Amino acid sequence: MVFEKVVEILRNYKEEPELEVSMDSTFEELELDSLDTVELVMEMEESFDTSIEMDTELKTIADVVGLIEKAIA
Amino acid sequence: MIKTPLCDLLNIEYPILQGGMAWISDAQLAAAVSNAGGLGIISSMNADENWLRQEIQKVKSLTDKPFGINVMLMNPHVDKIAQVLIEEKVPVVTTGAGNPGKFMKIWIEAGIKVIPVVPSTGLARFAQRAGATAVIAEGGESGGHVGEMSTMPLVPQVCDAVSIPVIAAGGIGDGRGIAAALMLGAVGVQLGTRFLVADETNIHENYKDKIIKAKDIDTILSGKSLGHPVRSLKTSFSRDFVKAENDPSTPRETLEEYGRGALRIAAQEGDAQKGCFMAGQIAGMIKEKQSAKDIILTLIEETETALKGGLQCVK
Repeated sequence: MVFEKVVEILRNYKEEPELEVSMDSTFEELELDSLDTVELVMEMEESFDTSIEMDTELKTIADVVGLIEKAIA
Repeated sequence: MIKTPLCDLLNIEYPILQGGMAWISDAQLAAAVSNAGGLGIISSMNADENWLRQEIQKVKSLTDKPFGINVMLMNPHVDKIAQVLIEEKVPVVTTGAGNPGKFMKIWIEAGIKVIPVVPSTGLARFAQRAGATAVIAEGGESGGHVGEMSTMPLVPQVCDAVSIPVIAAGGIGDGRGIAAALMLGAVGVQLGTRFLVADETNIHENYKDKIIKAKDIDTILSGKSLGHPVRSLKTSFSRDFVKAENDPSTPRETLEEYGRGALRIAAQEGDAQKGCFMAGQIAGMIKEKQSAKDIILTLIEETETALKGGLQCVK
């Protein structure tokens, strides 16, 4: 559920409706740098109506999904 | 007289911060800048907590004015550094090379004013939410590690994105630049390169001479392929580095190794073959060595002239 929404946000952000994303995809593979990551995390916070702590480095989509699941649990 | 809300916020006379430059900004320079009415900042670079504690005690012995410490978040000793800042009751902390989120809470609880350097509106909003006192919006015209955006478009967009005070940095070399930054919505400025030639700056004379000699086109960006671009003076070192970087057969590790320690060599040994002389694009505007106090007084006088002159355009 969280993963699907994250994929949708990523596809909108990159304006690539067909973008292939898996839990193991890294931000680097998706050609997203650290500044993109910050923008995306904020969009995800709005979308999930929660606040995500960015204390650890986010490398993969699984990292983000994990943080969101923790935040909304 | 130039006064902005930043002066009251940081308890300083002039809204000028001296950037925390690794291997360059030490207690002596920071104290000179703070004594002159600006905010002097010590760079804690990759140093450990013992070195930093000594520098903090030294700056306290040289000035009773506020000062700051720049924390490089990729420093392997960063957790211990974070504690020393609290124990030593450092008034202001600026951060670079990452997201300071992890430490914001403990620093703010300890009464430290935290001012992250941000290269985008996203990180500025993050900093504000985490309780930052202000942000430094730094454009890629600056020396050392730089972001993509230039100061002119970055500062007003950061000002629109956050409600906390914004300090402009990158490409500011004289009072005209400060006046422009204030017009973009900033309430203060941070200058690094301008202070490289201060009498109180402990770097090799070769470094200072190179800054005085530099023209507008004499800086170069290297290391972009490594993900952390650096602006420095064009020297045989930086030209060779860029050449190697543009050669696809150069292994990434070789480049990393090549660049290691190059700033220290520039600052301490002044060796143009092996040193990386970090400097911003305003290096070409710097014509003389001055004391930190004279630099600040000159900047303020020029800012007043520029701002008053601007009114002539209003009909």
